[in-house]
Amino acid sequence: MNLSIRVTLTMLAVCLLGGCGFKDIDKRFFVVALGIDHSENEKKPYRLTLQLAVPSPKIEPGASKTQIETIDSESIAEGVRMLKAYVDKELDFGHCKVFLIGEQLARTDYQDVLQWMSRRRDIQSVADIAIGKPDAESLLQVKPISERYPGNTLFLSFGADGTESSYTYVESLSDFSRRSSEKGLDPLMPIITKDSKESFIINRTALLNKKRVKLVLSSSESQLYNQLAKDFTKSSMHGMFEGMDLVVAITSIHSNFRLSKQNDEDIVTMNVKMKVIFEEAPKGLYNDQWGPVEQQLNKEYSKSCVALLKKIQKANVDPIGFGLRYRATHPGNSAWKEWKSIYPNVKFKVNANIRIEGTGLIK
Amino acid sequence: MNRYVFYNFILVSFMNLMLYVPHILIDYRFTGAVSSILIGIVIGSILVYLYTSAMARFPGKGLPEILKLYYPQWVVTASMLFFAIMWWFATTIVVVAFAVLINRFFNPDANTLIILTMLVIACGYAATRSTLSVMFVMEIGLIINAPIILFVLFKAVRSTQLNWDAIHIAANYVTVMPTLTCIAAASFIFTGYINLSLFNRLFPPNFRFKFRFFYPLFGAMILLITFFVPIGFHGTEGVGQYIYIWSFTADSLLMQYGFIERVLFLFLIVYLNLTLVYTMAGWHQAMEFVKSCFPSNKPEIDSPKTPVSNYIIVGIFALLSILYLLMTNEKINMLVTSYWLVLRLFVELFIVVWVVILSKKGAKTA
Amino acid sequence: MNERLRLLFAEAVDIKLEVLHNSELTIEIAYIAPLCEENKINDFIIVPFTKDFYPFESQLSTNPDYRKVDDVAKWQELMLRGNVLIEAAGIIYSFDASRIISIENPQTQVESAIQGPQLALSEDVNISLNLIRSMYPSPDLSVEEHTIGSLSKTPVFALFDQRRVDPTVLDSVRTKLTTINVEMLHAAGELEKLLVGKRKHLFPTILITERPDRISKAIAKGKIVILLKGNMFAIILPATFFDFMHAVEDDYDAYWMTRFLIFLRYTSIVLTITLPALYISVVSYNPELFRVQLAFSIAGSRSAVPYPSFIEVFIMLFMIETLIEASIRLPRYIGSTATTVGGLILGQAAQQAGLVSSIMIIVTSVVAISNFVIPVNSLSFAVRFLKYPLIGIAIFFGITGVSVGMFVYIVYLCNLRSFGKPYMRIFGKLRPLEGDIGQVKIK
Repeated sequence: MNLSIRVTLTMLAVCLLGGCGFKDIDKRFFVVALGIDHSENEKKPYRLTLQLAVPSPKIEPGASKTQIETIDSESIAEGVRMLKAYVDKELDFGHCKVFLIGEQLARTDYQDVLQWMSRRRDIQSVADIAIGKPDAESLLQVKPISERYPGNTLFLSFGADGTESSYTYVESLSDFSRRSSEKGLDPLMPIITKDSKESFIINRTALLNKKRVKLVLSSSESQLYNQLAKDFTKSSMHGMFEGMDLVVAITSIHSNFRLSKQNDEDIVTMNVKMKVIFEEAPKGLYNDQWGPVEQQLNKEYSKSCVALLKKIQKANVDPIGFGLRYRATHPGNSAWKEWKSIYPNVKFKVNANIRIEGTGLIK
Repeated sequence: MNRYVFYNFILVSFMNLMLYVPHILIDYRFTGAVSSILIGIVIGSILVYLYTSAMARFPGKGLPEILKLYYPQWVVTASMLFFAIMWWFATTIVVVAFAVLINRFFNPDANTLIILTMLVIACGYAATRSTLSVMFVMEIGLIINAPIILFVLFKAVRSTQLNWDAIHIAANYVTVMPTLTCIAAASFIFTGYINLSLFNRLFPPNFRFKFRFFYPLFGAMILLITFFVPIGFHGTEGVGQYIYIWSFTADSLLMQYGFIERVLFLFLIVYLNLTLVYTMAGWHQAMEFVKSCFPSNKPEIDSPKTPVSNYIIVGIFALLSILYLLMTNEKINMLVTSYWLVLRLFVELFIVVWVVILSKKGAKTA
Repeated sequence: MNERLRLLFAEAVDIKLEVLHNSELTIEIAYIAPLCEENKINDFIIVPFTKDFYPFESQLSTNPDYRKVDDVAKWQELMLRGNVLIEAAGIIYSFDASRIISIENPQTQVESAIQGPQLALSEDVNISLNLIRSMYPSPDLSVEEHTIGSLSKTPVFALFDQRRVDPTVLDSVRTKLTTINVEMLHAAGELEKLLVGKRKHLFPTILITERPDRISKAIAKGKIVILLKGNMFAIILPATFFDFMHAVEDDYDAYWMTRFLIFLRYTSIVLTITLPALYISVVSYNPELFRVQLAFSIAGSRSAVPYPSFIEVFIMLFMIETLIEASIRLPRYIGSTATTVGGLILGQAAQQAGLVSSIMIIVTSVVAISNFVIPVNSLSFAVRFLKYPLIGIAIFFGITGVSVGMFVYIVYLCNLRSFGKPYMRIFGKLRPLEGDIGQVKIK
C-alpha cells in the first residue's frame, strides 16, 4: 500500500476513535458511599447524599478528606444526574462499596431503590447495604479520626479485611436483591447508628419483608441470629451455672435445621453444634465436671434461640429460609401457598449441643 | 493428539454463557428446563459418539472432501455454502453480543460499532491464518484462560452465598415435560465436536479418538453449573430478572485477597479472549467451507503464504457482522439466538446422520 | 606463474613474488605477506627447500598440506585466503599459511552463565569447530562448507547431525545458502536477515548464540548450526519462541529453582509488554479495577500531573528507552553512571516536578527491569517494541484493547514459522510425532 494512503487511513481511524470515554482517574470523583433518605418534600421524595472521596497524595490516619453532596429529587437516577452539575469532576460509582438507606425509607418501601442499584452497571453487586439510623445523611457526615482513606471506616467495618464483629450482620447487594424477591427467604439489613461525632455502631439488625422493615433485633439477638444463620464463630455466649456468670467464646459452630411433621404439628428442628472455650468463669472450674455445665448451657441456649425464632415468626418474616426449605422438600406449585398458611403456627425446637474444649490458659 | 479434539469441545462448552444458553434455560426453569438438560446431555453425547466414530473413517479429510468423494460438485457447493452461513452465524452472534457486553461493562461511553469493528478486525486477521495456526492459537487461548474460568466456576460453587435450597427447588421441576428450545440450548454445550468437520483435516491416518467418556462428563458438569449456580446465587425468583446472568453471578463473587477484587472483570477479560478464539475458529471454518465451494480449490492446512481469497471471504464476514449489529439490538439478538439454537440442533443432526451413512457406505464399498 | 599473477592483481606492495633456487630445483612462490604467517612459510617452504635434506619435489607430492592446484582461476582466491602458491617443475601447489587475527578463546560475554562452560566460540572457525567437535564427538556430525558474498567470499559452515536432522529443514537451508546473493557478509546477524528473507519481521526466528554448549544441544535436537568465518557467533535454526526464553542454566541448576525462574521470565515478559498499556487503561477507563486504596493513591499522585495518562506514559518511556540506548552505546565505565544519574535523579525530579505520577515511575522501572530478564538479547529487543502498539490501542479502547492486542500478538506468533517449523506451539515437539496433527498431505 502507498504510504500516503496508509497515513490517511490511520488519521481517519484516529479521528473516528477520538473520545471513547477516555477520562483520567484524577478527573473522576469517586463516590465511596451513597445514602438515600426520605425527604419531607412530597414532590421530591428522595434525598440523596453522596460521600465523595477527595484523593490526596498523603496517606496517613486522619488525612482522609471527603466531600458531601446532598440533593432532593424526584427519582434517584435524576438526582444523580443533577448532582453532576454540583461537582467539577465526573461521578464514578465504581468504588462505591456502601449503600445506606435511611430508616424512614426502609420503613416505607425499598423496592425502587433496589431496582436502581441492580440496573446500574457500575454498581458492584458485592457492595454492602445497610440501614442508617436516624437517617443516612447524618451518618455520612461522620468523620472518624483514624480513617486513612475516604469512606474506609464503613467499608472496613463490613468486610472481613478489618474488624469482624459478631454483632454485625453483613449484607451484600446481590444477596439483598435475591432475598427481596425469593419466595420463602426474606431480606435483612444491619442498622448503623452513630454514637458521638467520630464513630459508628453497627450492632443491630433489621428484618424486612418484601417491602419494608418489620422487626428490629436488639444487639444480643443480632449476635444470636448471626450464630444461627451464618455460623459466625468469632462470637461469645453468656450463661449461668449455679448462680455464677459464665462467658464462653465459640470456636466452631454448625447449625442446620429440618422441617418435620409430628402429630399434625409442623415442627422446625434446629440442631446447633458448637465448641466453646471459657473466657470468663469461676476459678476452679477446670477440676469440676464439665457435663452439667454443658447441659445447663445447652438449655439456656435453646431457650433463647426459640425465643428469637418465635419473635421472628411473629413478625411474619423468614430470613433463615424455612419457607425455601419447605418448597425444596415439597415439590409442586402449591407448596408456597401451603407454607404461608403453616408458618404462623409452626413450632420450633432447638437442640443445642455445646462441647467445652477448655477453660482458656488458666484453670 | 486427542487434546485438540478436547480443545474444540471445551471451548464451545465454555462459550455457551455468551450464547444466552443459561438465560434461555433459566427462563424455562419452572417449565421444563431440567428435564431438557437431561435429554440434552443424552442427545449431545450420542451425537459426539456418532460423529467421532464416523469421522475416524475419513482420516485427514474435512467435511467438504468427504462430500466430494460421493457427490457432484453442485451438491457440495450448495451444502457447503449453507454450512458456511451456519458457522458464520454461530460466531457472529457471540461477537456481536460481546461487543454490546463490553459497551455495558467496560467502556460505557464508547460506540458499540467501533468496539465491534476492532473485534472483527482482530478475529478476521486470526481467521485468515492457516488451519494449523488456528489450532495453535486455540490451544494457547484455552490453556491460558480455561484454568481461570474453572477457578471462577469452582469459586462460585464453593461460595457460601450459594443457596442449595433454591437449587433443590429448581431441580424439583424435573418432572415437567421438556421443550424444544431448551433441548436445543442444552445440547449446544456438546456441539464442539462439529468443529471436526473441518479440523479433521489435521488428523493423521493412524489417529484414534480416545477418552470419549470425557465428553459427556465434562459437558454435563459445565451444563449443570451453568444452570444451577445462578439459581443458587440469585434465588428461584430473582434469577429471572437479569439479562447478563453470568456476568451478574461473577459480580456477586469477591476475591478478597486477589489483585483484582471484582471477579466480574477477570471473568469478562477471560471471556473476551475466549470469544476471540471462538470467533476465529468459527470464521476460519466458514471461510474454508466457502473456499471448498470452488472446484479448483485445493485444501491446504499450513500454507506458507496467506491466499488473497482468505482476506476477501473473511472481509465479507466482518462486514456482515457489522451489518448484523446495525440491524439488531440486544433483544432481537437474543430472540434470533434462541431460534438459531433450534435450527442448529437440526442441522447438526442432519450432518451427523449424513456423515454416518457415508461412512457406512464407504466401509461397504472398500 | 609469477608473471601471470602480476597481471591478475592490482599493484600492491604487500604481494610477494619470489624465485628460489637450490642445487636441483628452481621454484616460484607467491603470497600476500600480511595474510600469511612468515614463520610457517619459513618452516615449511624456505628452510626445507634451501637445506634440501629430502628432495623438495617429493615432499610436495607426499605431504597433503601441499595441495595441487589445477585451476588457474582459483589462484587469486587462494592467495586472498592466505595461501602460498608454489610452482615447482610446472606444477602449482598451494599451502595454507594463513594467519588469523582473533581473540584467543574468549570468555562468554553476551550470554553468560554462572556455572557452565565459560568458553565462547572463537572468531577463528577452526577453534570454534574444535570446541563443537569436542563437545559433540559423534561420527554423525556433518560439516558442509558454503561460500557467501561475491566480494567477501566468507566461508560458511553448516553443522548438523546427519541422523537427527530434519531433511525438509536441511533442504530449505541448503537452497537458501546457495541462492543468497550479496557482496559482503561479515556478521551472523546479517546472515540471519538473509536467511529469513522477510523484510519486516517483528520476532527473531533464528537464534544467534556464542555458547558452544547451546550449540551442541541444538545439534543433538536435530537443529542446524551455521558458523561464519571471522565471527564468534553461530546461528541455530530452526528456533522456536521457547528457545529464546531458555537460558542454558535452566539445564544446570536445581529443578524447582529453574522452574521458578522460567515462570518469572514469562511473567516478566507479559508485564513488560502490557504494563504501560494497562496503566493507561486502568487510569483512564476502568479505575474500579483496582482496590479502592490503590485507586485513591494513584488519583492523589496524579492530581498534580497536567497531561493525560498516555502523555505521561510516553514521557517516562521515552526517558527510559533513551537511557537504555545510551548505556549500551557508552563505554562500559560511563554507562553505569549514566543509568544511575538518569534513572534515579531524573525519575525523582520528574515526579517532584509534577510531570509524572509516582506510580508511573514504578511502572516504568518494572517495564525496564523485566525486559532484561529475557535471556536472549534478540528477543529482548523485539519485546521492547511490543508495548507501543498496545499503548496505542489502550488509549482508544482501554482494557478491552489490551486484551485484543495480546490476542493478535499470540496469533502472529502462532502464525510464524521458522524454516517451516511452528514458532510458537505449546507442548509440540520440534520433530512431530507420528500421530501429530498436520502431518497429512492432502492430495
